[in-house]
Amino acid sequence: MSASAAPLVELAGVARTYAEGGAEEVRALRGIDLTLPAGAFVSVEGPSGCGKTTLLNLVGLLDTPTSGEVRWDGRPVGLRTDRERSRLRLETVGFIFQRFYLLPTLTAAENVELPMRALGRPRPERRARAVQLLRAVGLEERARAYPHQLSGGEEQRVAIARAVANDPGLLLADEPTGELDSTSARVVLDLLGRLRAERAATLVLVTHNPEVAARASRHLTLRDGRLVADRKEA
Amino acid sequence: MRRASTSRSLRHARWQSVLAVAAIASAVSLPVILVSVGGGVDAHEIASLEQTGYQVVVSAQGLHGIEGAHQDSAKLLALPNVVAVEPILSIAIDLFNRTGNVSAAIAEGIVPSQFGATLSPTERGLFSWPLALGDPNDTEHYADGAYDGPTSYDVLLSAPYAQMNQVTVGSTVVLSPTTNASLGVRYNVTGLFGPQGSLFEPAGAFAALVLLSNLQVLTDYARGSHTVVPDGADTIEVVVAPSTAESPSGLAGVEREVQAVLPSYTVTSVSSEAAELRSADGILTGFYLALSSVGLAVGLLFLALVLVRRVERDRRSIGIRRAIGLPQRSVAASILEDGAILAAAGGTVGVVAGVVVVEGLATWASSTVKEAAQLAIFAPAFLGELVVGVVALSVAASAAAVHVAWRVDLLEALR
Repeated sequence: MSASAAPLVELAGVARTYAEGGAEEVRALRGIDLTLPAGAFVSVEGPSGCGKTTLLNLVGLLDTPTSGEVRWDGRPVGLRTDRERSRLRLETVGFIFQRFYLLPTLTAAENVELPMRALGRPRPERRARAVQLLRAVGLEERARAYPHQLSGGEEQRVAIARAVANDPGLLLADEPTGELDSTSARVVLDLLGRLRAERAATLVLVTHNPEVAARASRHLTLRDGRLVADRKEA
Repeated sequence: MRRASTSRSLRHARWQSVLAVAAIASAVSLPVILVSVGGGVDAHEIASLEQTGYQVVVSAQGLHGIEGAHQDSAKLLALPNVVAVEPILSIAIDLFNRTGNVSAAIAEGIVPSQFGATLSPTERGLFSWPLALGDPNDTEHYADGAYDGPTSYDVLLSAPYAQMNQVTVGSTVVLSPTTNASLGVRYNVTGLFGPQGSLFEPAGAFAALVLLSNLQVLTDYARGSHTVVPDGADTIEVVVAPSTAESPSGLAGVEREVQAVLPSYTVTSVSSEAAELRSADGILTGFYLALSSVGLAVGLLFLALVLVRRVERDRRSIGIRRAIGLPQRSVAASILEDGAILAAAGGTVGVVAGVVVVEGLATWASSTVKEAAQLAIFAPAFLGELVVGVVALSVAASAAAVHVAWRVDLLEALR
């Protein structure tokens, strides 16, 4: 299975406002201009409420900007229908959430199979790949376990296996170690780094932990919805 | 995997799923019981009608009876292709046994020599032949309408009555048109009919068979009054020669001849009565289904509420699926599948429950209910259509849940 090409993602003058025009209007992002080249490892840092998750949702096509434009490989994604954005997400984006978000009624293997099933891949193929991915994250023996039978670290490793199931070119991780102890966090970060490197995928990692952010080669800092720093490692 | 995950998802909300299945099952069991028992009873009646020995019936709908029953019967018997004619008068009377105990019963006045030909083979088996009712042609007592000839006052009683009232052949009972025994006439019990402890007819477990002229005298149908006609009968049953009866045109010809002899009365064929009964059965089935649709609507409403409740509870799972990239139609399909599984389970349980209830009634219920339940017919096609219909309706019931799922805010669900 060949990896999907990582897209070149561009944000031009992107703003996102919630409850726009209302008494409780929240301006989560303001005038963000940003280019995420293919294969980059980018951390997004900043205090709580600065707009990190909103930025990730916009890049990952879960949300649309109030103003400005998000472009993938030069094409505005705002012109696509909800169905087209879903398809693009399925084929190109892998999400890793802070709270893992595994489906509780599915086993670990079934959770990993889910994106492949949505793509219509044959059952034997996705079964074999789920086992292969669980082996890659060190959980082959736990394939039949349900999420409630797994530790936090194990759940996040299953979530990572699920995120890379369709070989996405873009991995988006929102505080992936936020709910883990330091040992599990290190395992998860090592795993993420390895999988990103193997697939030449773009990894955008939201964190407010400097040690986690240190693994990235480019560091974005947000404050009050604005991009206040964009630092690249030498 | 979807099937496995769906069944697990349903187990996850076990009690809600159980209640939804129970609601649909109870709604489905009602038409199963009503239609199978009602249809069975109707089918039995139609079969009985089609097996009778007579083919044409004369009745006096809207009148006080057929006047001149003896003479009219003689005229009909003279028609070509008519082999037997039986005038029948059926009246509710009171029967007093030796100790004075009174029981309501149906008395039938008949002409013994004609009676056997009008019965079905099964009915004929209930009697000892020839009937021990004295005058076989009921002409002596009738005496050309004078009713002053001799009579034997013989009566045949149904076995259930005789059994419950300790009446034996050779004893006497009093037949009275009222609850006053002094207005009645004492009859000699010359025979019994019907199996012990069984029913002669659903409404005639206690029945008495006497000469037509005797019953006419007892109930004023001999002389006539302001409410009844002289020499009266309720119906005249006409037995047509077998070769003619097998031909619809031949039978129709006999019907026309009978009508020409008795133009004031209604003449119908048993086959048309059977057709009317079938039509009535269809209407009744429709009524049962309409009645059951109320329960079904409640069951499906409950299913809709359960599914909406599940969607509300599973907002996060829906959000996760959509975040991964599963299209909304995939989520909708999952909900519809859940609804269909619950409806199919409810429909199947309902069918099984309905069958079990009917079988239970056929085994343990009392008298008439038991007999009706024993006649029940479980048509596989109807039961299958019922389950399929419920599953199809579940799509409509699931629509509300699909609508709610469609409106789930992705970011809100993941928060």
